[in-house]
Amino acid sequence: MNPTETPTDRTMKRVETDGGVPMEDDQESTADAAKADGGTEKLVDVSPSHSVPDDDDDVRTRSTETAITTRDLNVYYGDEQALDGVSMDIYEHDVTALIGPSGCGKSTFLRTINRMNDMIDVCRVEGDVEFGGKNVYDDDVDPVALRRKIGMVFQAPNPFPKSIRDNVAYGLKIQGYDGDVDARVEKALKSAALWDEVKDQLDSSGLDLSGGQQQRLCIARAIAPDPEVVLMDEPTSALDPVAASKIEDLIDDLAEEYTVIIVTHNMQQAARISDRTAVFLTGGRLVEYDDTTKIFEDPEEQRVEDYITGKFG
Amino acid sequence: MASETQTSTTWFGSTEEVGRLRGRVFKWTCLGATVLTLFLMLVFLLYVANDALRPLSADPSWLATMGVTVVLPVVLLAGYYYRRDRSAGEVAYTALGLPIFVALVSGGLWLLFRHIVSPQEWFVLAASILVAGGLVTAHSRVRHDAAVERLVVTVVVPLLAVVGVPTVLPSLRDLLSLSPVLPNALFSLVIAFTLPIAAVVGWRVRAVRDADRDGAIAAGITVAGGLAGVVVGPVFGVHPTSWLVFASPIVGALVLYVEHVVRNDEGVSGLAFPIVVAAGIFVGLTAAQTLGFAGPDTWLDMQFLTSSTSTTPADAGIYPALVGSVLIMIVIVLSAFPVGIGAAVYLEEYARSQGRLGTVIELIQVNISNLAGVPSIVYGVLGLAIFINLIGMGRGTAVVAGFTVGLLILPIVIISTQEAIRAVPDSRRQASYAMGATKWQTVRNVVLPESLAGIFTGTILALGRAIGETAPLLMIGVSASVRVSPDSFLSRTGAMPRQILSWSTQITTEFRYGVLAAGVVTLLVVLLTMNAAAIVLRNRTQRTQ
Ligand SMILES: Nc1ncnc2c1ncn2[C@@H]1O[C@H](COP(=O)(O)OP(=O)(O)OP(=O)(O)O)[C@@H](O)[C@H]1O
Ligand SMILES: [Mg+2]
Repeated sequence: MNPTETPTDRTMKRVETDGGVPMEDDQESTADAAKADGGTEKLVDVSPSHSVPDDDDDVRTRSTETAITTRDLNVYYGDEQALDGVSMDIYEHDVTALIGPSGCGKSTFLRTINRMNDMIDVCRVEGDVEFGGKNVYDDDVDPVALRRKIGMVFQAPNPFPKSIRDNVAYGLKIQGYDGDVDARVEKALKSAALWDEVKDQLDSSGLDLSGGQQQRLCIARAIAPDPEVVLMDEPTSALDPVAASKIEDLIDDLAEEYTVIIVTHNMQQAARISDRTAVFLTGGRLVEYDDTTKIFEDPEEQRVEDYITGKFG
Repeated sequence: MASETQTSTTWFGSTEEVGRLRGRVFKWTCLGATVLTLFLMLVFLLYVANDALRPLSADPSWLATMGVTVVLPVVLLAGYYYRRDRSAGEVAYTALGLPIFVALVSGGLWLLFRHIVSPQEWFVLAASILVAGGLVTAHSRVRHDAAVERLVVTVVVPLLAVVGVPTVLPSLRDLLSLSPVLPNALFSLVIAFTLPIAAVVGWRVRAVRDADRDGAIAAGITVAGGLAGVVVGPVFGVHPTSWLVFASPIVGALVLYVEHVVRNDEGVSGLAFPIVVAAGIFVGLTAAQTLGFAGPDTWLDMQFLTSSTSTTPADAGIYPALVGSVLIMIVIVLSAFPVGIGAAVYLEEYARSQGRLGTVIELIQVNISNLAGVPSIVYGVLGLAIFINLIGMGRGTAVVAGFTVGLLILPIVIISTQEAIRAVPDSRRQASYAMGATKWQTVRNVVLPESLAGIFTGTILALGRAIGETAPLLMIGVSASVRVSPDSFLSRTGAMPRQILSWSTQITTEFRYGVLAAGVVTLLVVLLTMNAAAIVLRNRTQRTQ
């Protein structure tokens, strides 16, 4: 848990994530989080939130600090344009969902943030991505340093064929961390709600876990070096509903410490877990970006409503 | 529904006999081709083996004894494994093959210790490396963040320790070898050969069992196995030092393998197989000897392996050529492997695929594939032109032979390493980069560990190809027949295939049949053992992925 964070922040967050979520679902995740943090105080300071009416979006006093700001972002693969003038403020400790039909550039957007696109020879980026007061595409920014601040979880679980411990410790190892690695591994596994399942087999291979466990392992790996932002590209699409709901609960908790940006094709999932939702439509345009409740209940654009209700996509 | 009953009389009948005939003929033709290939191989192998070993020259009662003590138990056991416990069968052949393979490698080391690096020299070399390693580690602890300085130290310190600055500064190795008190050969090897092996074995067992005691026991068994020669060696007429060189790696490998099998608890009964084989041979030979049955008069025997060639077929041997081949192999391993693997890593991990540079890289790639098919005699000419005529290295030396044949297998090494690297899923690289790993960290921590087994497989197969090459050796003047073993990489050497070729042109028939066949079998045993090891390694990694 981030020590600088005040309980109020969390309460706030609870308030607005309650939108449309069934009661027992939320309790379960809260209990999980409390267990993971080894204390019960959270239950106490979270429970009042259930009595707060959650339909009042205007009272949000959620963090207004932006974590990432993009300005007129255009991304091209060769001659093909994948993102078209995307300008967007992503707020700290928000869960921001990116939705949109296949091929609209959601993954491209994520990869643009942590400059994973650098690895694709044909990819070209125009515009600014501001992170920590700096355009990440400035010449003096080292993408390696950037990626150490911004973790990423992929669609298909991709643990290394190493032990569970070494998987989680990977980021620490490459950053030359010389503190108590085991403690950090334990903390990350707890935050990823995997500790109880694997604490007796930390030396067995990460590939021996089930798909859902592997994905949580990948989440643990991404958060172990304590990044500021966690990018998730359809993290649950390869998982069964039970494993997926575990990860959804987890994302909720992660937002207390990290800024989470998640791509999903699952509308319910976006509605359940995110604070803000960005809708991309074909051609790589950001069509609407607003609070999740607003997007799902009363979108400005007809096209967005059509997409959400499944009329096209 | 109604129509279903109507057609049901015809749909399962075979009305298309003629249409299937073609398929069947095709299938049987393919099968015939396969059987023919296997048959020809088998005939050839039996033919050479028969010439080399001459089993029929033995007493029928000797053959019967061996049949009862060796062949029968082996067949019975194999049948049992085949019907009851397939995984034990797998364990059985690995458990038998592993010591044979390790023995072969140890044989190479033994030759090395005997002719090139004496045990004391090896001791001094190992000590220098140890000191240099200690210094580098200590420095990296103290000056953790000084990246450039650390790089310099990592390169310079080992160089100073092992090579020094010629004529200016003697290396640590030179200084140590001047020392008046050096351990004798046996102790040098105990310290600088057996102990490191035991340490690796113990460390590994400790890591997988997570128990210090088990690690210590494993290391202890390895050391004991190596030292047993002091007591048991004289009984078998084996010098303790020789025993040490063979036994330490064999025992170490067996300890690791037995531990692995027992821990996984799968096919444990397969471990009995090598014991049955060894005991059968021992009992059979002792029985035959006490009963006075004469064994076969083989061409391939200890005498053949340990003596040099001669004008009388009965005294002829392959030893110096064997030493030469081992030296050539070592040169290849030290030169072609690093270069080939390095090139493959560059082409796969670093080379850009776009732009002008991408075109150049593609051109290189195509050329490498082409080079793999260039006739070996051409490489011989190349070696002669470059290494001997241009650079002026000595004709027929192990270095030149190793470089030339190394050049020949370089494309194969590169291509097979590239394949192994390409087999690492890209998602793992992505994961590593996304964690903020640099290219080097990704290659070092993700790509290489995962492709290592594949790289080994490919390079071992390439090495197998290399040791049989004859044509390039002719071009660069490798001695046709050697009586004296080379004593350094720079002295003139022979090689097994070259020696075999010169036997084939002798006038005496025994040379052309018996001695030649013995040479071929020796070469084949080395080659097939290496290939088998590569294949086992490949199967093993395929299963774990
Ligand atoms: N490596 C690449 N090289 C060339 N074009 C690419 C590459 N990756 C993506 N594209 C193109 O960019 C566009 C956006 O792709 P992107 O992967 O960002 O879509 P997406 O919204 O994540 O789709 P999905 O929901 O199917 O994952 C697509 O038209 C795609 O063809
Ligand atoms: Mg995508």
